[in-house]
Amino acid sequence: MTAVEQTPATTTAEIDLLRAEVARLAAERDALRADMERRDGELETAGRMLAARAQTMTSVIDAVTEQSIIGTDLDGVVRVWNPGAEKLLGLPRADVVRRRLVTDFHLADELAADGGGLAALVRVAQAEGRDVRDWTYVTARGEERTVSVAVTPRSDDSGEHAGWNFVATDMTEVRASERLKDQFVSLISHELRTPLSSILGYLELVLDDPDQPLTDEQRSHLGTVERNAQRLLRLVGDLLFTAQVEAGRFTLQPEDVDLAAVLRGAEETARVAATAGGVRLDLELPEGGLVVPGDPVRLGQACDNLVSNAVKFTPAGGCVTLALRAGWQAPDGTTTDDERPGSAPVARISVTDTGYGIPAAELDQLFTRFFRASTAKRNAVKGVGLGLSITKAITTAHGGTLDVTSTEGHGTTFTLTLPR
Amino acid sequence: MEPHAPRVLVADDEDDIRALVCLAVRRAGCRVVTEAADGPAALDGARNTLPDLAVLDVSMPGATGLEVCSALRADPSTAGVRVLLLSAGASPEDVARGLASGADSYLAKPFTVAGLVARVRELAGGVPA
Repeated sequence: MTAVEQTPATTTAEIDLLRAEVARLAAERDALRADMERRDGELETAGRMLAARAQTMTSVIDAVTEQSIIGTDLDGVVRVWNPGAEKLLGLPRADVVRRRLVTDFHLADELAADGGGLAALVRVAQAEGRDVRDWTYVTARGEERTVSVAVTPRSDDSGEHAGWNFVATDMTEVRASERLKDQFVSLISHELRTPLSSILGYLELVLDDPDQPLTDEQRSHLGTVERNAQRLLRLVGDLLFTAQVEAGRFTLQPEDVDLAAVLRGAEETARVAATAGGVRLDLELPEGGLVVPGDPVRLGQACDNLVSNAVKFTPAGGCVTLALRAGWQAPDGTTTDDERPGSAPVARISVTDTGYGIPAAELDQLFTRFFRASTAKRNAVKGVGLGLSITKAITTAHGGTLDVTSTEGHGTTFTLTLPR
Repeated sequence: MEPHAPRVLVADDEDDIRALVCLAVRRAGCRVVTEAADGPAALDGARNTLPDLAVLDVSMPGATGLEVCSALRADPSTAGVRVLLLSAGASPEDVARGLASGADSYLAKPFTVAGLVARVRELAGGVPA
């Protein structure tokens, strides 16, 4: 009281200051509280969102019943085991998660052949980020299943590599059916080639018997039989070859091949049909030929297909031109006659006809098996739609490309480009 | 037929093809000493007659041409018999499997009679009939 009386003015000012400070602190406290409450709300929302996202992820993974999804840690210990895995491998989640290794469900010999253990499963995915291939799973009942497994690295919340995902599709029935189809085609091929051997062999005996010469009419009739037997034989060969390509069993017997000789052979093969159809065949070859590494039989087959197609697609009075040129191909696929920096030497075979042409909308499907252009059907051009898919497969196996340009009513050009 | 004409065994389960092969063998100036319609009969025939050449179909009941060929090579008494395989399989893998069994030559069906005559003559050393 005494002190107050001694300095009344100062005290009032101080009180005002203190009041102001208290008011400021109260405002700050209120602001902080409001901020805290807001952040609390945000945190709660984030927590709810995270929980919802985890729930969504779990429900999605749990909804996958036809594919096995197994997630592991870096040691291969199972952390995620979805209903698809339960169904495929016959074990409930509780028996597996944190208790078993993913390698426990693989055929041991198959892993051993690739170096063994988890490393065999993840080696490629580690290097390239993903790997898809067939493996054999062994179920709880000891049954072996062929599965196509996609392996990818798994990350934790902070984005660190935490393990591996193994998403597997049961391919047991699919692969069995593929094998069956393969066997079926081989069997059919054998069963058709054997009677064809008899037909062609005995025809040869009759046609070439000097003791009993045939009349011209008989020779003509038997010539028709022989031509059709050869046609059947080619069809059988094409079917078998297509099956081999599909099964990945198509191999090349590479050597140095002079493409000029191949094109001369194709021209010779097509000459009879071209003459009969009133189609002129022109051959444009470089002097001295052009040699590429390749399989002469398969390249001959590819050129035969292109020339035979061109002749079949060209009405009487038209022309088919077979041309061979050396060129250079840039990395973007464009070709030039002269060498450019970064370009690679190529050989270009083009087969150009002045025939019916192919509608632009159908060009994309042209190399699909059994596809036939509408202009082929409309003009009754014979064929089953295997030749171009075979030609494409042969070209690809040689590291080359097959391109087509066409104008309906004017003609088509196929260009086969091969590295030389 | 020359009395010293090369002696040939022909084995194929298809009667028509077997008859065609026998005809080609004779045209090649050779003598057919045994005809067989299955693998075991081909093997017995080869052991009994020791031919100069065995023309074997690959797909035969009882034992395939490849198995007959391997058995001939494994037996010292028949190891010297020359073998020509005939098969409807024409892929490079088929040919490689055929030659790996010990065959001297491989001909894919359908073959031409003229081609078969030339191949038999080359392998058995016959002279034109």
